[in-house]
Amino acid sequence: MTYLTIRVPNWPSSALRRRGRRAAKSRWIYLVPATVFLGALAIFPLVQLARLSVSDVQVQNLNSDWPFVGVRNFIDGFSSGVLSQSLANTLVFVTIVTVVGLVGGIAAAVALRGTAKITGVLLAAMVFIWALPPVVNGSVWKFLLADDGLVNNVVNLAGLQSFPFLYDERYALISVAVVNAWAVIPFNTLVFRAAVLNVPVEQFEAAQLDGATPAQEFGNVILPALRPTTIVLAVLTIVYAFRSFDFVYVMTKGGPGTATQTLPYLSYQQAFVGYDFSAGAATAVVAVLFVLILAGVYARSVLKEESE
Amino acid sequence: MTMVRKPTSPITIGVRIALAVVYLVPLLWIVLTSFKDGADVIGSSTALFFRPTLDAYRNALSPELFTALGQSTVIATTATAIVLLIAIPAAYALARVRGIVPTIGLSVLIVLQMVPQTATVIPLFQVFGSLRILDSNTAVILADVALMTPFAIILLRPFFRSVPPALEEAASVDGASSFRTFRSIVLPVVRNGIATTATLVFLIIWGEFLYAVNFFLTPGNYPLSALLAQQVSSYGINWPGLMALGVITSVPILVLFLFTYRLLKEGLTVGAVK
Amino acid sequence: MHFSSFVSRRSQTVLSFTALGVASALALAGCAPAGGADSDDNTITVWHYYSLDNQNAMLDQYKSEFEATNDGVTVENVYVPQDQLNSKLIAAVGSGTGPDVVVFDGYSATTLTSGGVLAAITDEWSGFDGADQIAEGAVTTVSGDVYSVQGYVNTLGLFYNKTILDELGIEPPTTVDQLEDGMAKATAAGHQGITLSGQPDVQGAFQAFPWLTEAGFDYAKPNADALSEGYARVRGWIDNGYLSAQAPTWDQNVPFAEFMNGNTAFAENGNWQLSSLESDATFDYGVVPLPVGTTGKVYLGGEAEGIGAFSKNPALAWKYLEETFLSKAGQLVALDQVGSLPTRADASADDSISADPYLSQFAEAIATQGAPFPDTIIPPENNEAVINANGQAWSAALGGQTSPDQAASDLIKVLEPLLQK
Repeated sequence: MTYLTIRVPNWPSSALRRRGRRAAKSRWIYLVPATVFLGALAIFPLVQLARLSVSDVQVQNLNSDWPFVGVRNFIDGFSSGVLSQSLANTLVFVTIVTVVGLVGGIAAAVALRGTAKITGVLLAAMVFIWALPPVVNGSVWKFLLADDGLVNNVVNLAGLQSFPFLYDERYALISVAVVNAWAVIPFNTLVFRAAVLNVPVEQFEAAQLDGATPAQEFGNVILPALRPTTIVLAVLTIVYAFRSFDFVYVMTKGGPGTATQTLPYLSYQQAFVGYDFSAGAATAVVAVLFVLILAGVYARSVLKEESE
Repeated sequence: MTMVRKPTSPITIGVRIALAVVYLVPLLWIVLTSFKDGADVIGSSTALFFRPTLDAYRNALSPELFTALGQSTVIATTATAIVLLIAIPAAYALARVRGIVPTIGLSVLIVLQMVPQTATVIPLFQVFGSLRILDSNTAVILADVALMTPFAIILLRPFFRSVPPALEEAASVDGASSFRTFRSIVLPVVRNGIATTATLVFLIIWGEFLYAVNFFLTPGNYPLSALLAQQVSSYGINWPGLMALGVITSVPILVLFLFTYRLLKEGLTVGAVK
Repeated sequence: MHFSSFVSRRSQTVLSFTALGVASALALAGCAPAGGADSDDNTITVWHYYSLDNQNAMLDQYKSEFEATNDGVTVENVYVPQDQLNSKLIAAVGSGTGPDVVVFDGYSATTLTSGGVLAAITDEWSGFDGADQIAEGAVTTVSGDVYSVQGYVNTLGLFYNKTILDELGIEPPTTVDQLEDGMAKATAAGHQGITLSGQPDVQGAFQAFPWLTEAGFDYAKPNADALSEGYARVRGWIDNGYLSAQAPTWDQNVPFAEFMNGNTAFAENGNWQLSSLESDATFDYGVVPLPVGTTGKVYLGGEAEGIGAFSKNPALAWKYLEETFLSKAGQLVALDQVGSLPTRADASADDSISADPYLSQFAEAIATQGAPFPDTIIPPENNEAVINANGQAWSAALGGQTSPDQAASDLIKVLEPLLQK
């Protein structure tokens, strides 16, 4: 597809490559503002976090010296089972949020890619919901999922018993994760939709001429075009889910007991409720390390892109 | 040339219905609650049938609200602008530069994304304290920019990747400098992506709460997000007030979205003109 | 070769407006916003987390009365969201700043002291003529120095729906067995038995304490059997249908709202709910102290007040506290506006308390069952961790995540290292 007609003159390829390299060199400058800014304000807290995780820092010495204790915080966390249980909860949580979030986002983007009025209304409602703070969204669902809430009213009408959505230790984690995914879907929808709209009209026309069904159109035209976006959104959603604690905080406070205690919630609780800052930092570092594995996978796909 | 209209498939209709139920019902609940009296909120007898009152809105519309609205606007607009200024070139560079740099760069950005906000508040407090910019919009804006830049770069990069290199090569062959190519050729093509990213960044900063609450030390400076927190305490939650404030806070978001939605629609037609 | 012009007029305009917008916004941003701090000697800043109207009315009254009697002085009340206040105070210490007066959640007193947030007020306290009026449990002392005082206390009692009790012929219970009988009768008649909070945090721990101490738990000699008995008792209420299984998701306000719907016989809740009962109840109601026997205790909750360690005006800050939270008149303001009970003996003797059928019950609870919060036996720096573990164990036992025995032994395992000095 082209927006314009280009006639590339007959320049020798080596000359083109030289020009390309010169252009590439000047592009390094484009990285400078971001590097400087992030280096000053984002790297420093990260370093502090790492230092905290290998020290013993409680409320009484937060503002003075931090004695170094090596990996003791990590060992304590895992041997007491607290970190491993949180990690398990987090993995379940992240999987649900990512899968439901991505599938929902793609479905919504495709269903709402038109410019009809109804799609406008739905998109606006979704964006409005997404813009609401977690304290509002989480509270709404806390009411809707209560024993006498709307969802259970419908369930009862269907003849079933009420589900213990938020106070049973198995249901609670799933419920909070699904609500979190619900809150994130509008974001994914907007980005996927922008990508779908970027697919040139000609491809859809060609598919139509070939007599493709909607399913084939989806599989052969839309999905491949969404691949790079899907990878990026998967990364962003996973990272977000690994960090998300607002919904746990509003809906269950990590409960019942510790059933919905994910790594970010545990980290918050240790640092800001228990004032054990080094334990909280260690928990956060565990989450970061886990995501690093993911970052590695993403980076490998980036390298593969380069060679294409 | 517009998109060819064809009958919508039943799956599409099904998805739309599901979305409508799942998003419009809670929205309705929120709006209904904002018109209730506090005592009517809990208990299913007053779920749908109650005497509506404007009390929650009346209490919310105080001079405090308008100051907070102004603060939110200044902070979100400035921070978004700076994020774009920094992230757009960086995303472009990471999309075009070869070798190990994009890999390392992206990994670093992802790690930065992972650092919980609660872990950055205290170090940043100390940094801003020593720079003597505590209790000013500057501190919050800088913190928000640091928070959102990695996100914006990760989000923008694929849009730059999808610009065909032939486009830039042609322009440079024609004598345009690298920057002019970037500004006049590449940027317009990634318009959709920039608009989407800018909208999302603005929305997130608009709702950002932790930095705002911690870096302001005297009254009168909190943005809207902090006013919402005031409705919740261990002594009681003002449900109608919370919902009313939530609605009021999100209306500007809606306005912004409608604005960019139209911009996106236009972007479509401009791009298709030959 | 041709290419159409991409830089349409439109995008140029958009770009230049954006640039203009950024420039002006940056200029605006640089300005210090309105309400900048006065650093002169006549202003004191008070950090608090009050968000209810009546709480703010009390604070406003303190402000206007203090400014009226102290010429040229300004009081600045600064609201900080409740769950951010402590961390903001601690972060401020690292920058050498902070408020003049701090009004914070009483049980965090030892934590904030350890974090260097509060200034020692030992001398001011010994020179204060009202000091002997205030109970020892309301004063926080760490390593021999006084750091904060509670001007009022909030505590728990047993609310009951008199209409339901009368209808079923139940008397307000004085023992826990009577309470269980009453709940059984109420449930049989189609009502809810009781509501309380089972949240895995300080609120749950606050509400758990009466039942755990009723079963004989004591921090001086922590034993798992008492804990297990307490957990099993309340878990039994859920199993018997007296208490909703949703309790682990409830803070202290939702259970009271449920009680207010008129279909629940009893509610374990605090004196701060009295004003909403008065204005909104559609049934007859009453209060008695929680029927927790001779060993049962209730925590003396509520906010505490102290002076910031980096205050530039400590003398003026102390004068403020003397004339507001710690004075007899000031404590009666708190009573009048919020329904909070005074810590001064002379204020407690006021007629408005003894004549009030509800406040008098809370006063009795404080006198006979009150226990300091934080518990003095717990090492100051571990206080929060202990409370947190308590809340989680309570929630786990009530929610069925663990059995009462398991929850009890898990908690003891966590407590043992924390309770050693």
